[in-house]
Amino acid sequence: MNLRAFIKKIQNIINPPKEISNETILGFLRVLETLEAEEISCDELYEKLDQYVEREVDKKDAALLMPLVREHLDTCTDCCEEYEALLHIIQENEPK
Amino acid sequence: MATRTNEAWLADLRANDETRNMALEDLRAVIQKGLPYALSRWLSPDQPQFGALVDEVTQETLLRVLDQLDTFEGRSQFTTWVHKIAVRIALTELRRKRWRDSSLDELTENEDAPPPPGLLADSHAGPEVSAERSDMLTRVRRIIEEELTDRQRQALILLGMQDMPIEDAARKLKTNRNALYKLLHDARLRLRTRLATEDIAPHDVLSLFEQK
Repeated sequence: MNLRAFIKKIQNIINPPKEISNETILGFLRVLETLEAEEISCDELYEKLDQYVEREVDKKDAALLMPLVREHLDTCTDCCEEYEALLHIIQENEPK
Repeated sequence: MATRTNEAWLADLRANDETRNMALEDLRAVIQKGLPYALSRWLSPDQPQFGALVDEVTQETLLRVLDQLDTFEGRSQFTTWVHKIAVRIALTELRRKRWRDSSLDELTENEDAPPPPGLLADSHAGPEVSAERSDMLTRVRRIIEEELTDRQRQALILLGMQDMPIEDAARKLKTNRNALYKLLHDARLRLRTRLATEDIAPHDVLSLFEQK
C-alpha cells in the first residue's frame, strides 16, 4: 500500500465517506438509457439555447434537429431551468 | 415602442446619439416585460425583493448585451438572445442567494438520512419484491463504489440528494459548471458500460421499483 492509499484509509476510518442515497442511485439510472456518448458542454448549450427555444415555439421538432441539446437538457438541471424560463418568456411574452 | 429587425437593433445600439438611448430604453422595457415569466417559478411580483431583483438583472443584462454585441450571430431573434442573457443573470443570482451560506460539510451531512418512503420502505410491496429491490440496490451501489472516482461520488451526492444547482455544486467542488457536467457525463458512461458487462439493464432496475 502506498502512502496516499494509507492516508486515505486512515481518513476513511476517522471520517467515513458519505453514502449515496437510494433515490440518487435510481435518479442516476433513469438517464442512462438515453445517454449518448457524444455530449455538449453547458457553455455550448447556452450558445444554442435561444435558437432551440425559437424552434420549439415555432412547432419545429427542436429535439430531433438538435438532439445533443435535448440530451443535455435532460441531464443538467441548471440548463433545463434556464431553458424553461426562456421558453416561458417567448411563449407568453412574444407569441408568434 | 418601435419594432426593430435584428439589424436595426444592432445598428441603433451601436449608434452614438439619441438613437442609442432610445434603443436602450426599448430594450429595458423588453427585458422587464419578460422577466416576470422567467422568475415565476421562484418569485411572485408581490414579494418585496421582486422589484429590486428585476431592476438589478435588467441593468446587468443591458451592460452585458452592450459588451457582447459583437458575439450575436443572428441565429435567433435579437430579443430572444437578450432574454437568454437576462435569464442566465437572474437565475444565477437566485441560486447564489439560495446556497450562499451553506458549506459543503453541512450539505453532505444529511446524506445519512433514511431514504424517503416509496423505495425500500414501500409498505405496498411484498417481502419478495422488497428483498429483490434491496439486492439490486446493493449490486448497483457496489458497482458505483467501484467505478466512480471520489470526486464523481461527491458530485453525485451534492446534485442528487441535495438537489443543489450544478453551478453551486461546481463552486463547492472548486470547479466550473462545464467541468462538473463533463465529470457526471463520464460517470454515467462508465456506469452504463459496467452495468452492461454485469448484464444489468437500467430499465429492469427501475421497473423493479415501479411494481407493487
